[in-house]
Amino acid sequence: MPFTRVLVANRGEIAVRIIHACQTLGLETVLAVSEADRDSLPARMADRTVCIGPSAATQSYLDPRIIVTAALGTGAEALHPGYGFLAESAELAELCAAHGITFVGPQPDHIRRMGNKLEARTLARLHGVPILPGSEKVHSWEEAAKIAERIGLPVMMKAAAGGGGRGMKVVTAPGDMQRMFTAASAEARSAFGDGTLYLERFIPNARHIEVQVLGDRFGNVIQLGERDCSLQRRHQKVVEEAPAPAITETLREEIHQAAVTLAGKIAYESAGTIEFIVDQDAKTFYFLEMNTRIQVEHPVTETITGIDLVQEQFRIAAGERLSFSQAEVNFTGHAIECRITAELPHEGFRPNPGRITAWNPPVAPHIRLDTHCYAGYVVPIFYDSLLAKLIVYGADRGQAVARMRDALAHFEVGGIGTTLPFLHFVMGHEDFAAGRVNTRLVEELIAQMPNGVGATE
Amino acid sequence: MKNAFGALSDEEVRQLTLLVETLDRSGFDFLQLAVADMTLTLSKGTPPPAQMTAIPLPGAAPAALVPRPTAMPTAAATRAPSPPTATLPSPPASAAAPPSGARAPAPRKKAPPEAGTLDIKAPLKGLFYSKPDPASPPFISVGGTVSESSTVCLIEIMKVFNAVPAGVAGVITEICAQDAEIVEAGQTLFRVRPAGSAA
Repeated sequence: MPFTRVLVANRGEIAVRIIHACQTLGLETVLAVSEADRDSLPARMADRTVCIGPSAATQSYLDPRIIVTAALGTGAEALHPGYGFLAESAELAELCAAHGITFVGPQPDHIRRMGNKLEARTLARLHGVPILPGSEKVHSWEEAAKIAERIGLPVMMKAAAGGGGRGMKVVTAPGDMQRMFTAASAEARSAFGDGTLYLERFIPNARHIEVQVLGDRFGNVIQLGERDCSLQRRHQKVVEEAPAPAITETLREEIHQAAVTLAGKIAYESAGTIEFIVDQDAKTFYFLEMNTRIQVEHPVTETITGIDLVQEQFRIAAGERLSFSQAEVNFTGHAIECRITAELPHEGFRPNPGRITAWNPPVAPHIRLDTHCYAGYVVPIFYDSLLAKLIVYGADRGQAVARMRDALAHFEVGGIGTTLPFLHFVMGHEDFAAGRVNTRLVEELIAQMPNGVGATE
Repeated sequence: MKNAFGALSDEEVRQLTLLVETLDRSGFDFLQLAVADMTLTLSKGTPPPAQMTAIPLPGAAPAALVPRPTAMPTAAATRAPSPPTATLPSPPASAAAPPSGARAPAPRKKAPPEAGTLDIKAPLKGLFYSKPDPASPPFISVGGTVSESSTVCLIEIMKVFNAVPAGVAGVITEICAQDAEIVEAGQTLFRVRPAGSAA
C-alpha cells in the first residue's frame, strides 16, 4: 500500500475495529484522542496516540484542522474517519488531499453531493429512484409549520447535513413544531456543525432497508446485499439484520438495483450505504439518503458475505481494484446485530453513563462482539451511548434469533443500566420472530415489556 | 527586613526581576517556576487556558518556561511554610476574569434566592446550554418572561439534546448555571418570580 501509518480519527468501538483492520494489513496506527479518551481501550491498542483537545467533541473530534494537524504532526500518511464525527465532512477529505494524506473514504465530491441530503434527493430523482414528498431548506419553525400544512402531518424533520438520527424529529401536532424545530436544529448543529433542516412526509408503517455498496476508482460498483434496520429508537438503529426478512425477491432486487444505479452514476468510491424506506402498506420504496462512510451495522454484512469492509476501504483508498465481482459475492445464512447502549429503556431510553463495574460478554463460535468496554471503564457523558455491538450468525433467521436471545441472556453488565434486558425481550417477541417489524415496533414493544426488568442502575 | 518584598533576599528579588523582564521579552504568555517548596507564576495578563496540558520539555527543568495548568494566574510568589508576604506587580484587572471558553466553573454566588421565587431544576445530568446554538442569543435572560412551555435551556447528555421547559410562568430573576457546565439532575438552573406574585 502507498501508506504505512494511519491516523484513526475516531473513538469507541469503531476505533478498535479500524485499529484491528490496520494490524491485519500491517499498517501502523496513531489514534487521535480527546482528553476524556486518553486511557481508552483503543488508545492502548494503537501504536501511539495523539491528544487532540478537550473532551467536548466540538473542540476535538469535530475540528477538521485539528485532525489534519494531528495527522501531519505524527507522520500519518492515511486517515480513517470511522463513522459519525467528521466521517462525512467533505472539508476533512479536502484538507487531507491538500496535505498529501490519503483519506480512507470516498472522494470529497461524493461526500459533498450525497452528504447534502437535499442534493442527494435531487440526484436520486434525476436517476429515476423514487423519493418521499418533502421540502427544501427550512429556516424557521414558522416556515416548517407552513410546509407541514402542505405535505400533511405527521412530518419528519431532518438535518440536511447528516444522518444517524441526529437532528431528526417526528412532528405529529402543530403545537410541537417550535420546540421540536429548536431541539432538532441544535442537535444537527452539534453533530454536523450545520443546523439546516428539511422536512419529509413521515411513513408510519415503514421498514428501513439499506444496501451496502463498494466502489473502486476504476468505476466498478457492486452491492453486498441489504440490511434491515427497522428497529429504531429515537431514529437510531437498535437491531439490524441481513438479509431483510419478509420481503419479496422482486422488491429486494429492485432495491439492490436502485442502489447500484445511484452509486454507479456518481462513480462512487469506497464503502457506502444507500438507505431506503419501504412503505409496507403501499408496497413501495423511497430513497432516504446515502451514507458515504462505513456504517455502525457493517458487521452483519461482513458476517454473511465473509468480506471485511474496513480492509476493503483501505485497499480501495490505496488505489487497488476490487478483487471480486458481483457474481463472486456469496451470501450465506443470516446475521443479527444488537446495539447495546448505556440507556434506560423504561425511561424513554434516557442516557445513563457511568462506571462499568462488571463486563462479562458471552463467548461462542457464532458470536462476534465489537466493543471498547471493559470492567472498570467509565462511560463518558460527552459522546454517544453505544457500548457494544453483539453480532450472531445462524444458518437461517430462526437460528440466528434463538442464538441472539441466548447470547443476550448470558451478557452481564454491572454498574450502569443498559438496553440488554430490552433487547432480550425483543428477541423473544412473536412479532420480531415472525419478521413483522416496522420503525415503530420499539415503541410498541417497550409498552409491552414488563417494568422493572430493565431498571438496573 | 531588607527590602519591600519582606521574606525574599535581595538576590532573590533581583532574580525575580530578571524573570519578569525575560518573560516580557519572550513570546510566552506566562511562566511558572517550581523549585523545591516554592511556586512562582508570572503572567503577561493573558491567563493560560484552563485545560492546557503540561508538556514536559526535556532538559528544561526546573527553571523553564513551562506551561502548566493553574487555577488562577496571578503574579504571586509563595514560600512555605511562611505565609505569602511578597506580591509582584499585579496583572491588569482583566486578567482576573476567567478565560473565555474555559470549562472550569467560576465560584458560584451563594446569595440566598429572592423570596417568593421558584427554582427551575435540571431534569437530568448533562451539559448546560443557554442558547440554541453558539451564534444565537440565549433562550432567556434575567428579567425575561417565560410561560410554562417556554424553552429555557438545552441539556446535552451523550449527544442527545433535551429542550428544558420552564414549567412555570413568570419572570426570570437569576440564571444559576454557565454555558457548557456539567449540571447534575435536580440542580437549580434558573430562579423565577411566578406570574401574579408581587414584584
